[in-house]
Amino acid sequence: MSQILVNGLLTGGLYALVAVGFSLVWGVMNVVNIAHASYIMLGAYITYWLFHLYGLDPFLSIPVSMAALFLLGYAVGSLVLNRVVRFGLVMTLVLTFGIDMILQNGALLLWSADYRSITPAYAGQGLAAGGVMIPYVRLAVFVLAVLFVALFSLFLSRTRMGNAIKATALNPFAAELNGVRIQRVYALTYAIGAALAAAAGSMVSVVYTIHPQVGNVFLTRAFVITVLGGLGSIPGALLGGVILGLAESLATVTVGIGWSEAISFTLLVAILIVRPQGLLGKRFFGGVG
Amino acid sequence: MVSEPLLRVEGLEVAYGEVQVLWGLDLAVAEQEVVALVGSNGAGKTTTLKALAGALRPRAGRIVFEGRDITGRPAADAVRTGIVLVPEGRQLFAGMSVHENLMMGAYARQDGMGAIRQDLDWVYELFRELAKKRGQLAGTLSGGEQQMCAIGRGLMAKPRLLLLDELSLGLAPVIVDRLVEIVTRIHRERGLAILLVEQDLNVALAMAGRGYVLETGRLVRSGAAEELLADEAVRAAYLGM
Repeated sequence: MSQILVNGLLTGGLYALVAVGFSLVWGVMNVVNIAHASYIMLGAYITYWLFHLYGLDPFLSIPVSMAALFLLGYAVGSLVLNRVVRFGLVMTLVLTFGIDMILQNGALLLWSADYRSITPAYAGQGLAAGGVMIPYVRLAVFVLAVLFVALFSLFLSRTRMGNAIKATALNPFAAELNGVRIQRVYALTYAIGAALAAAAGSMVSVVYTIHPQVGNVFLTRAFVITVLGGLGSIPGALLGGVILGLAESLATVTVGIGWSEAISFTLLVAILIVRPQGLLGKRFFGGVG
Repeated sequence: MVSEPLLRVEGLEVAYGEVQVLWGLDLAVAEQEVVALVGSNGAGKTTTLKALAGALRPRAGRIVFEGRDITGRPAADAVRTGIVLVPEGRQLFAGMSVHENLMMGAYARQDGMGAIRQDLDWVYELFRELAKKRGQLAGTLSGGEQQMCAIGRGLMAKPRLLLLDELSLGLAPVIVDRLVEIVTRIHRERGLAILLVEQDLNVALAMAGRGYVLETGRLVRSGAAEELLADEAVRAAYLGM
């Protein structure tokens, strides 16, 4: 039983990182970013290829995948998304869906649909304590994921740019009156979202087998976690991630692994009925009051 | 006026789509001057301020500030040239603290943390109510406190020209009196040029030395505050009768 809880917790940390960038883009720009799935996938492939072609340790390639996706995200944000962001949720949903299709099919063409995985030398090793087995890789992923989420939270609350992002999320008109160039903030927010997705993707490639559609299951989870934790809330993403991780882990031993998607959506519906602003939804953010 | 005024507006025309709301507006604000823009609902007062602050793009006309043509500059640039709008309805960052709101006012400043801190102390001294609530979320403040926070945020931008839109809207008379007193004090202490918009004629001309009267997008009269206050036609036009 404790093994199940540990597994759930470890997975939950990664889920939180998967969700936090998605939640940011949604909360700040009011964009449900379907392409988040592709950014996770691209992060995973960058780490995979750097490992296979150059033998670069998967954890060391995280900065590379983040930087690459930051640039891609900034380009997509400033050149494409900024043109339609004021037309509302449906328009941007369709657009990011299109971007996602292009990137996923591009990956299929380039790298085929083969399942691939990374096996560094330390892959099989782990920590055994009190009848519980904790693989080093998964522990490292958990610690790093939580660290990234914490650093990102500090960035938002402590830096001038972070405050500009928050202000833009709350009131874009007032932000502009205070001198914030909101188009730039949107592009930057989108780029940060993509970079966080890439970090999550790099870690996904160490834990799971990857393929061009690998991001899709995580996108579903990011969506559920964002609603569960509260739109735009970082502690919410962390809590939501851990809850979903534990719920899925418990589901595998009780009702079977095939039910994990059903668990996700049951949680989604339940939270929407009981507490639509999410568990840690903040006042005045995301228009829920 | 002999020398070039701080702000000079010539033939300003603004439209929302097909609907034109400003027709050839001319006005000027000199250095250290407080000017009121009065008129009934829908006269185009808020539109004028928004155009000056870069939040609306004029269809025609010129906005000259400190001798430079700044027509059509976006809002984020207007702040940097020194024109700061305290908008109607406060428009605070509701989910951020009073302190964070005030610091957002200083977002575009380049003159260093020392100067910003000095202004912050000054704002807290002007609005003692805010000093006690600096950690509180702006959205949870009372209406009067929100207006104070909005003015404070505007001051934090270190304006050369402060635009105040409907200061008194929805506030109790005691609070309005206090705001009028503070605006007068700001003008006295800093010699700040202010262009203010008000529905309440008495409130407007209590602060301003000079005024312009707008009626359905056109300038119908201008003059010294006392003159306008005494003018029966102005009172009639102002009340929309």
